[in-house]
Amino acid sequence: MSQRYEFKEARRRYNRIAGPLMAAYAVLCLSGSALWAFFDVEFKLVSAILALTICLPIVAVLLAKLRYFEETDEYTRLRQLRAFARAGAVTVSAVFIVGFLQLFELVGQVPVFLFGPLFFLVYGLATCTDRWFGKAA
Amino acid sequence: MKNQLRLLRTERGWSQAALAERLGVSRQSVNAIETGKYDPSLPLAFAIARLFELKIEEIFEDETEAPDALAAE
Repeated sequence: MSQRYEFKEARRRYNRIAGPLMAAYAVLCLSGSALWAFFDVEFKLVSAILALTICLPIVAVLLAKLRYFEETDEYTRLRQLRAFARAGAVTVSAVFIVGFLQLFELVGQVPVFLFGPLFFLVYGLATCTDRWFGKAA
Repeated sequence: MKNQLRLLRTERGWSQAALAERLGVSRQSVNAIETGKYDPSLPLAFAIARLFELKIEEIFEDETEAPDALAAE
């Protein structure tokens, strides 16, 4: 895959969109939860719209990340994709393990919400450990 | 893969960041290539060679042994 943008420009393009989106997510998360709790939303359609609206910035950030992977330099792309793959593998493994433990009634209900932060935690750690210890190619 | 990148860079008095800027890559990329942690792709190797006005093989040294069929030629 050829490099579409210089590294700095690719990073600038990512930061320009990711920062505002994360801020929007924080605002929507707080205001959406408050709306749902205080106004006792009765209609399922309204609840669904509220829930999906809160999710939109996260989906957009992930899409921006994928664009960044395509635009950045080859070494950064390799490191980022490797970390992303590791995080995906750990998260999907966790989903299966917890899912079957629940199925066999060995654990109670685990909030699905926890898997998102787990993914980003492993992704962040994998990026660092790759930089500190790894031979990238 | 061994390479002369650090030597060539320091000869010109460039920092890793300055070289990275010229190549349009991250400083970490330059560091990884210099320390042998990462072998660049052919397009990047050509870009490096062009920048230093040298041939690729004058910068990068292939340490792998040639296959028997090629070595016999």
